[in-house]
Parts: sequence; C-alpha cells; structure tokens
Amino acid sequence: MAETTTTDSVVIPEPVTTYDDGGRKQPPPEKAADVRRRTLVIVSFWLIVLCLGLPIWWQTTTIYRAKLPLDEMLDWADGRACRPVFPLRISVEANDLQHQEAQNLVRLTQHALDDLNDFAGHHLRLQLASSGRPSETTAETDEDDTSALTIRLVQGDSTASALHPHSPVLDITYPPNSIPTQTSSSSALASYIATQLRSTFAEEQAIISYLLSTTSSFPAEQRPQGLTPEAADALAKRTTRSLRYSPTYHLTFSLFTGGHLPSSWDIEAAVAEFMKPVLDILTPIHNFTIDTQIQLYATPGVQSQVLNKEDLSSFVNAAEWPLSPSIGGAPTVNFIVYIGNQTIGLPTAEQAGSDGATATSQSWLVPQWGTVYLLPLPEDKAHVSASTLKQPLLTFTSHLLSLLGTPQSGSLPLRLSTLSRIRSADLLLRASSTLGSLARLSLALPSISIPSSVADGVSKTMSHLRLACDTLGTPGALYHARVAEEEAERAFFEKSMVGQLYFPDEHKIAVYLPLLGPVGVPLVMGLLNELKAWRKRRREAVDNGKAKKET
Amino acid sequence: MKLSSILRLPAVLAAVLLAPATLVAAEHTSNWAVLVSTSRFWFNYRHLANVLSIYRTVKRLGIPDSQIILMLPDDMACNPRNAFPGTVYSNADRAVDLYGDNIEVDYRGYEVTVENFIRLLTDRVGDEMPRSKRLLTDDRSNILVYMTGHGGNEFLKFQDAEEIGAYDLADAFEQMWEKKRYHEILFMIDTCQANTMYSKLYSPNIIATGSSELDQSSYSHHADNDVGVAVIDRYTYYNLEFLETQVRDINSKKTVGDLFDSYDYEKIHSHAGVRYDLFRGGAEAARSRLITDFFGNVQNVEVDGSKNTTLEEDLLSLSRTIAALRNHADEEEAAALKANETAAKATTDGRQKMQFAKPLTDDNWWTKKLFGATAVAGCALLWGLGSYLESPRA
Repeated sequence: MAETTTTDSVVIPEPVTTYDDGGRKQPPPEKAADVRRRTLVIVSFWLIVLCLGLPIWWQTTTIYRAKLPLDEMLDWADGRACRPVFPLRISVEANDLQHQEAQNLVRLTQHALDDLNDFAGHHLRLQLASSGRPSETTAETDEDDTSALTIRLVQGDSTASALHPHSPVLDITYPPNSIPTQTSSSSALASYIATQLRSTFAEEQAIISYLLSTTSSFPAEQRPQGLTPEAADALAKRTTRSLRYSPTYHLTFSLFTGGHLPSSWDIEAAVAEFMKPVLDILTPIHNFTIDTQIQLYATPGVQSQVLNKEDLSSFVNAAEWPLSPSIGGAPTVNFIVYIGNQTIGLPTAEQAGSDGATATSQSWLVPQWGTVYLLPLPEDKAHVSASTLKQPLLTFTSHLLSLLGTPQSGSLPLRLSTLSRIRSADLLLRASSTLGSLARLSLALPSISIPSSVADGVSKTMSHLRLACDTLGTPGALYHARVAEEEAERAFFEKSMVGQLYFPDEHKIAVYLPLLGPVGVPLVMGLLNELKAWRKRRREAVDNGKAKKET
Repeated sequence: MKLSSILRLPAVLAAVLLAPATLVAAEHTSNWAVLVSTSRFWFNYRHLANVLSIYRTVKRLGIPDSQIILMLPDDMACNPRNAFPGTVYSNADRAVDLYGDNIEVDYRGYEVTVENFIRLLTDRVGDEMPRSKRLLTDDRSNILVYMTGHGGNEFLKFQDAEEIGAYDLADAFEQMWEKKRYHEILFMIDTCQANTMYSKLYSPNIIATGSSELDQSSYSHHADNDVGVAVIDRYTYYNLEFLETQVRDINSKKTVGDLFDSYDYEKIHSHAGVRYDLFRGGAEAARSRLITDFFGNVQNVEVDGSKNTTLEEDLLSLSRTIAALRNHADEEEAAALKANETAAKATTDGRQKMQFAKPLTDDNWWTKKLFGATAVAGCALLWGLGSYLESPRA
C-alpha cells in the first residue's frame, strides 16, 4: 500500500483495496515522525490551556474576599464582646470631717446607692477626694482623676443639697449631729446623699438603659427592668427628636418673609451674642458650621391666620423654599424665622393643664430637622435688629440642645457630660451593629467582593471599640467610639463592594460560548482523534505481537 | 441569603419577646422617595411622564426635593421632536406642565445605570457624591420606591443597555435592611410583568405592588395626538387618579389598602399585584398604613408652650461662664503640655501604632511572590520545551 501511494499523481489506481467505498483516493500514510509531532502539538496546546489558561482564568474571575474575623464581629454585634458599663466616679470632698468619719460615711452611702441601683450597666462609685489628705486613696485617684461629679460636704444647719451651676459639683450641707458613728450600719445622711445622687443621674441612667434595650442584640440580663410606660414613652420621644450623631452639624438660619420687607437682618451679631456661648461649650462633642439666607416673597404651605397643630407640619413650604443647601458633608439643622403675625392655636385641653392663660405660641420644633419661629413685625420695618432676634435665637439654642439629645434635667455641666456619655454609648452600639451587619452580609452574599481595605477598617474598628468599651464613662470613650463608628461605616459602605451579584446562567453561556466554542471544538476534537489513533496503534501493536507469537 | 435570615432569627425573636412595647411605639420621622424611569428615547415619553407625575404628587404632599431622588434617563422636555419644547405632559388635556420651573433631577441621562441605582440604595458612594444625590435614610425613614420602564420576567431594562434582576433588587433591599436604612418601604413598579420584579424580595417591612402579572403587558393609557406618543401608563394613571382625588393633602386618612382596592382589571387591563407577606403584622398592618406615610412628609411637630425666657437666658449666661472657665483651663493645660511635650509625643506615637494594629498585607505578599515565581518557571519550561522540540533528532 505504501509503495503505490508515493507516486499517486502518476499511477493509475488499480487495486480496489486502496479506495474508499465512494471511490475516493486515500491519502498517503503518515510518517511516524509526523504522527509524533502532531501528538506533541496537541499535548502542548493542552498543556498551555491547562497550565496557563486555566489558572489565569481562575485568577481573573475569582472575587477577592479578604478574610474577616466574622466570629469576633458577630460577638460585638451580639453584645458578647463588650459589657457596656458606666462606672462613674464620684469624689467626695469632706474637709470638715475626720478622715475616719468621712470614710465611714462614704462606705454607708455606697451601700445605700448599691441598694437603690437596679441597673448593673450604670453604677456610681464613690471615693474620698484626696485633696489635703494624702492617704491610701491617692493611688487610685491618680490613676483616673476624671470624676463625673464632686460632692462637697459642708457643715450647716440642716440637710440640703444644690447643684453647682458652673461645675459638676453637688453641694450638700448637713447638720453636725447627722454624721454616722463608726458602728452604725445606716445613716439618714448617707441615704439622703444616695437619693440625691440617684435623682441627679436618673435621667442619664434611663436614657442609657433605653439605648441598650432598643438594641435588641444585647442579652436580657444586662437590661434594666421596670421601666414605666410613661418613662419609656418620653425616652422614645427623645430618641425620635434627636439627630443622629455627627461630629459636625451645619446650622442654616433662614429668614422668610411674605413680602419684600424686611430685607436684612443682624443675624451675625445675634448668633455671636445669643448662640455662640452654647456652641462653644458643645465643641468637645460637636463642631458647627453656619450659613444664613434671606428669602423674600416666600409663601408658607398654610395660609390661615391661626395655625392648628395639623397645619404646622405643612407650614414649611418644602417645594419652594430653598432649605437644603447640602453644603459640605454635614447634616443640616434648619432654623427658620418667618416674618408674619400668624398665631399657633393649641388645643385648649392641653394648654389649660400647663398655664391656662395664653393659648398661643410662637415656635415649634420639627424632630430631627429644626425649628420654625413666627416673628411678628411692623410691616414697614426693613431691618431686623439683633435685639429683635434675641427671643428666636434663645428658642433655637434650647431646641438645638434638645435636637442634639441633651438630657433635660440637671445642671448644664452635668447635662453636657451626660450627653457625651450617651453619645459614646450610642456610637459604640452603632459601630457594633454595623460590624454585625457586615459579617452577616459577607456570609449571605457569597459573590460580593471584599477588598482588603474593608478588613483593615474592621480591625481598626474593633481595636477602637475595645478601647472605647474599656474607657466607657470617661471623655476618651467618645473619641474612640467616634473613630470606631467612622471606620465601621467606611468599611460597610466600601465603594467597590457593589456590582451586579446575580448573573443568570444564560448570561454566562452568552459570554463564554463565543470565546470557548471556536477554540474548544478543535482542541477537544484533536484530543479525541489523537486518543483514538493511539488506541488503534496500541491494538495493532498487540495484534502484531500476538501474530508474531503465533507464527 | 437564606443564611442571613436564619442568623437574624434569634435577634428578631429576642426583640419580639423582650421589647414589644418599644418596637410597636417606633414611628418614622422622615420620608424619602426614589423615583426611577429607566428607558430613554422619544417613544418612551410616557415613562418619563409617569415618573414626573409621581414626583409632582410626593412634592405636593410635602416631601422636599432634598429627600426625593429623581432618576431621568432622557430629556423629553428638550427633545427636538417635542412639539411643546420645555414641557412634559401626562395627559392629553395638557393642563399641568410636569416639568415646570421647579424640578430637581438627581440622576440624568447616562447616569441612570443599574450600578448607580444599587449604589444609591446601598449608599456605597464615594466622597465626591453630593448629599443631595444620596439616600441618607436611617431606621426611622419610610421610603417610596417607584420604578417604571420596560421589563420582563424578573428583570427591568435600564437604558436599552443593561438590566437589573429581581435578585439584585432583593439583595440591595436586604443590604439596606441589614444596615438599618429604612423603617418601611412601599415598592411600586409599572412595567410589563412587573409583579415578577418583587417576587424575589425577602427583607422585612416592604409592601410591594406592581402593574401586571407574569406574561402580562402593562398598557399605556392614552396618547396625545399633538405630542404624538402615548403620555401615561394605565397603572400609574389610576394610581394618580386616586391620589389626586382622594388624597388632597397631608392630613388625608386614606390608607394603602384603599389605594390597592381601587385597582381594577377593567381599568388597568392587567392584574395589578400586591405583596404583604414581608410586612411585620401581615396584610392587615400593611393595609392600614396611611398613604401619607409613604407619599407625604410626616412631621410630628412639637409646639412650645408659652416661653420661659429666664431659663434660656440663664442657660446662655451659664454657657458663657463655662466657656470662659474652660478656656482658662485649656490655656493652663496648654502651658502644662508644652512643659512635657516629649511625653505627649510618645503617646501620640503609641496611638498611631495602634491604628495599624494588624498588617493585612503579609499573605498577599507571599502569593504575589509565588505568582511571579510560577510565571518565570512557566516561561522557562516553555522555552525548554520549545528548544527540545526544535533540536534536530536523528
């Protein structure tokens, strides 16, 4: 057969065996070297596909998912990683007393306090101030000299107490005979101090316990019991009213008027005079930026002369008044002065209870949004002086405090330190729950990519959370909680963690088929042919061997 | 996705068992609206008109522009084919110009993409995004999500170029829920086979409604012969009719259930669907929600009683004194700080170190090295193979 085909172009074919059934001529047999070369070509193609193509495809199409410490994150979210406790140090200054007596009093008061307290997360720890009396307590006070409140015991005629307005000091006077003796196990003065302390911190305690209870993730034993429905209601209202924490707020003061007058106002001076002091003392907790505007010919959403409560919610003409400047990245608090002689008619029943006579008011607060103040002015007045703005701005100031979530009772320094503690607890819980959300999300969406910056943010969050948790009750906690919350938010809202996650199978086929079809078919067919040929050769070889043996 | 609901179950159970009062009492404090038209080109005029009509409605009921996210993929008002330049009408009587002179479009033209939509919902945006284009909601926000365009079984087409799947939408809502970005959502969609789009949702507190069932088209209501194209879809038209006639202002007491009951096959020509099962409290609670809970801007204002001026003035003078005292203290502190600056430096160093507590690049470094080595070895192998094959053999 081989001999005939070498000269196929010349020789007229004669034997039937060299033809196919169709009468077509067979190609010449391949050389052994060609066969081997073809095998090598096919093998090398397959090697490239398997060793180079497949890893590259795998590498380029896998979604990068940074390892997240999921268990730890969930621990934080479920409140297992941190027991939020607020050990508030209260130092007692009793310079008139003997050291022994004072210590005894402190011990008794502490007992009385512990008996009164029913919420483990928030407890007051008394200690004797070291001033003037170096003793064994100094070591402890040096360690953490940040006491939330100082009790100043002064000898007087009768038992009385007063909060110092300028600093966190509770002045208590006591008659000289009320000092407990060394042996007595209870004392009227001690329990009096305890009750006073308790009532001073009652609101803070209630707010924090409410915060913990609304964050459902915290275990039940950490929650306070016995919150009355009214108290819970008031607390819910406070939560509704107060803005979400932000390190900076943008205050917008707007003057709206129905006509063309007044066209100027002395807002800068008024703010400096009536609001700046309060903003200044808030600086450790918040920063503020301010802008102002005047809008003429502004019609309110409601035209009637006497506004009732339903009207108030549509008084602000959101469609036409330019109220959200979105300057910078800070949330805006709106303070609106509307020049007009409308009055607010309150339901009489509500009013009769409080003070009867006046059934009108000038301003109202919109939760999480700001305040509107109606300012009646003579019609021809073109300029609003700073003194006219005094009342509106004082109202705005007190509303700002309540919008920020400042508690209502107590002296101002105490209210502020309470605010910072509440906010640090709030931020701590928020950051923890964000961690939990991220952990659950990364489990639930297996095809979402998690860049390493997220893991980085998570580890930063957790280290700051740990620090915040350990220092709760001190001013440093707010800083750490704030950083933790920022990092947690940044990790959760990582920009690249988005994309279409779900691709139907049809889409995948549509993407891969045009590529893999033309390339894959020759590859697979080549391999199959080669395998077939190899098996045939082997069988022939075996047959030949058998034939040889037989002969 | 199942996993998350399982994981959340204990928490939800605990919440239900332990704090029922607080959960029930929680109310929403802000209203947001996300209004999306997804189709471009002149013949899709009606989708733009749909979305603008809803925009007018929510604005009429008090939601400010800063809380409305409006996505318009094309500018019909300025289309050269528009016989009434600068206007968009949703009715052949052309009584109300929907475009008007007071409209704030947040995403326009080619910005309307699936990615931007999902980014908007999940708030995964960069720092460059202005606040007005973000959905800055929290766990007290009610959101109205209205979408219209051309859709099919479990997808909605964006801009003739891409599509959002029902799964992606469901995952986006789940991420919002997970991050406490909404209180309740009313999801409305007007497209062909619209009801399939909400079939995959699995996050709680969502009421969903759509214009048509699987394999049903959503039809346009009527055409304006002068504009030359259909101006509004049926489902949206009858929704609007209800909202215009029954919900006159923010104090309306009409409920979501009333709106859903007004849907009629005779009018809409397709079976409008409603989904309540995700809502806490089921159909009954969902149906009893007021229309204005989603379409209006609810503000529970607190009116001040008569003023107690002295108290506020006290507060002011107090703050002044405290600020002065604090300044004084700060100055002293600063002086003290200067004295031992080195100590301060040491502490800040410690703090900085703490921030990089966990270097996360180590394993990456090794994989990179390994990768490089493999590549080099592969090349060498190839070269060796090539030269082996090339070499003449006897």
